[in-house]
Amino acid sequence: MATGYPLRPLVRMDQLWELARKWYSTRLQPDSRRPQPAEMRQIFGGLGLTGDFWDPQSDAFGGTAGGPAAC
Amino acid sequence: MDLDLETKLAIYGHFAAVGSRPSVNDVAARVGAAASRVREAFRRLRELRVLVLEADGESIRMAPPFSGVPTQHRVTAGGVTYHANCAWDALGIPAALHRPATVHSRCAQTLEPLELAVSDRGPGPSDWLFHCVVPAAQWWVDIVFT
Repeated sequence: MATGYPLRPLVRMDQLWELARKWYSTRLQPDSRRPQPAEMRQIFGGLGLTGDFWDPQSDAFGGTAGGPAAC
Repeated sequence: MDLDLETKLAIYGHFAAVGSRPSVNDVAARVGAAASRVREAFRRLRELRVLVLEADGESIRMAPPFSGVPTQHRVTAGGVTYHANCAWDALGIPAALHRPATVHSRCAQTLEPLELAVSDRGPGPSDWLFHCVVPAAQWWVDIVFT
């Protein structure tokens, strides 16, 4: 985990691979698009990543960046 | 196909082929459009958060999962070296390429070098953990830090 930062949720490598696969496996294709908030919640929730930390529209940490979420 | 989609595909095709970012002129040549129009397409793609651009408004800092600049997360696949924006994106590169890869990185806590083989079914069993510092709602407050 990164030094100097508050401890946040930890993600196992099998979960991280599934995140990477769901996020990026179509990224080079013409019809690819970035996940939107509802899809993000579905992806995170399917991997057991739940709660405010993983909610792209939560204001629990002081507001959001606005606009379409996700990388 | 509209210019924004052609531009996006040209950018990702370039990253996939050579591992580094294309310039506006590279993309313009690939899509057969004037550089000024491609530059505008870059900016529209930035607004959609498909790209992150440098302060000059045209150099690609990120086309996730690819990084346009060297990072501590290096990925080799098919004889090409790529750089990823974070550990998540380091796995995103083999996922996007549909190609086995080796990830070279380091532990953010101990700075110990890490090497991870990734097959088409993902990495093998590992007790490594990914620490996501920034809540999802704030990723784009500063996506480079995220």
